[in-house]
Amino acid sequence: MLDEILKSIVEMEEEEAIKKAKEYLDGGGDPQKLLEVCRDAMGEVGARFEKGEYFLSELILGGEIFKQIMEFTLPKIKSGSVKKIGKIVLGTVKEDVHNIGKDIFKVFAEASGFEVIDIGIDTPEEKFVEAVKEHKPDIVGMSCLITAGVTSMKKTVDKLKEAGLRDSIKIIIGGGRVDESVKEFTGADAWADDAAKGVRLCKQLIGVEG
Amino acid sequence: MVSNAKELAEKRLARLMAAMNLEEPDKVPLAGVGGDIVPAYSGLSMYEYCYDSEKALKAMEKFLKDFPCDWPFAASVSGLDGRVFNVAFSEFPDISINLTFITGPMHDALGDKYYRYPGREISEDSSPQFIGGSFMEADEYDKLIEDPVKFIAETVLPRACRNLETPRKAMATMVRLGTEISKFNAMMMQTVGLMQELGYPAMALGGAYAPLDLIGDFLRGVENLLLDIRRYPDKVKAATEALVEPIMNYALAHKNIGATLAFIPLHLNEYLSPKLYKEFYWPTLKEVIVRLVNEGFKVMVFFEGRHDAHLETILELPKGWGVAYFEKTDVVKAKEVLKGHTCVMGGIPMGLIVGGTPAQIDEYVKNLLEKVKPGGGFILAPGVGTAPRETPVENIKALIEAVEKYG
Repeated sequence: MLDEILKSIVEMEEEEAIKKAKEYLDGGGDPQKLLEVCRDAMGEVGARFEKGEYFLSELILGGEIFKQIMEFTLPKIKSGSVKKIGKIVLGTVKEDVHNIGKDIFKVFAEASGFEVIDIGIDTPEEKFVEAVKEHKPDIVGMSCLITAGVTSMKKTVDKLKEAGLRDSIKIIIGGGRVDESVKEFTGADAWADDAAKGVRLCKQLIGVEG
Repeated sequence: MVSNAKELAEKRLARLMAAMNLEEPDKVPLAGVGGDIVPAYSGLSMYEYCYDSEKALKAMEKFLKDFPCDWPFAASVSGLDGRVFNVAFSEFPDISINLTFITGPMHDALGDKYYRYPGREISEDSSPQFIGGSFMEADEYDKLIEDPVKFIAETVLPRACRNLETPRKAMATMVRLGTEISKFNAMMMQTVGLMQELGYPAMALGGAYAPLDLIGDFLRGVENLLLDIRRYPDKVKAATEALVEPIMNYALAHKNIGATLAFIPLHLNEYLSPKLYKEFYWPTLKEVIVRLVNEGFKVMVFFEGRHDAHLETILELPKGWGVAYFEKTDVVKAKEVLKGHTCVMGGIPMGLIVGGTPAQIDEYVKNLLEKVKPGGGFILAPGVGTAPRETPVENIKALIEAVEKYG
């Protein structure tokens, strides 16, 4: 049964996947195990994306299926019993109001076992600083779509340095217009222009497989 | 040396046309950077740039004087894509072509939920941004298919625009919109005059759109549409087919203003697997392009993101159809695939211009042009034309100088 659920998610069979997941739980299946299978499925979707077999539309649809299954699975799992591999503070940087890239990354990061604190769009530098102080994340993820976001990223990294927080975190930047030279320019630790690579790099940054 | 502006403009135009016609120009043409740096260079806020046309024109003039290129494609307008309005007005060609760009004041008049403008929803320093949204339900495809213009004009726009919510609001809004169109056209005339003074070719630009993008950007929202493709494939396909005629009506209306180049910016191309692209995106886009070519237009398509997986489909278009402008697709590879068939444009990552040094830019341009210059049919351009306001001007200079040296 679990194998079939995994396959349905990976093959983008939305209705099948959800139906089978419900059946599994209704039949007394272990929600924790279902969660793990869904995570494996998302890992496979990401892997296929990185191999060029899947595209953005599959990432989005995969994320959608995952979210729908989690809606009825997570309430059945005791809070605290889900082990997190790390914590990410995530936001779209100042002067950029786009959320699509951030949201795709968020689903995949959560599916990989990260706790994600989403601080929204058009996020001022200070709000990143405050969030880091409050949540003490392992990683700060900054997203942007428009080119203006690139300079906002640099300013945010600078503000985190000024606040003396830079050494306690890893910083990853993401979005359609970031690349190696943007990474250098902003002073981030890693960059990704897709969610699958982003999550893989996040794992590497904190020394987990990936 | 070129003696006057007219000669200079002719020389630049000849350079561009040679590239578009797959010939080798005297020098590789450069389509320059634009965007936020244009107002910033004159100390203007984005708000002033979007709402004060006199100041905007002055800023444009100063920028284009100091950073010359062959084609200031990205430095000339400060509006956001308004193709849903083009379709809504597509039965009225004289009106339809005026809504390709929705300016700040037009956005205010419409009260739409598609855009965010500086000094309005976002800070005065922010770039104007397109957000889109979902203004059509999944069960409304039949209405869209049956009469796309009626459905968009009478159902979608009143949902998407606060000031079109009721017929009585719409009356006042349309009068206001008309006033703003007049102002914008007056500004465009001044822009054309300015371009001529500065020795730039005055090219009237037409436009069209990929039918599937129209649904994703303006009707259903990108995420919803991607789910719709799986859930209701036949409806989505029929909707793209139904949108071809109104898009063509809008596109062909540009004949009246003497446009010979139609610009089509793509959005969802990068999102789709080759299978989905060939089934839902490309057939109707191809039809639009081919019909424009048959009507005497050259077409310029901006392939957003990475188009690598779909590169070969471009070869299905008639040879010499126009310009393939790439954002992140490797232009060296693209040129190899498309040489002798399609003019290739792009090649400069904006990250390099923002974060690189003049020496790095020089080196990069040298290496790139060595590969793509031979045989012509290439226009050098930033992958995205919008340079952030903090872009180091010495880097823009370095780009221009490098093209002078190696072009």
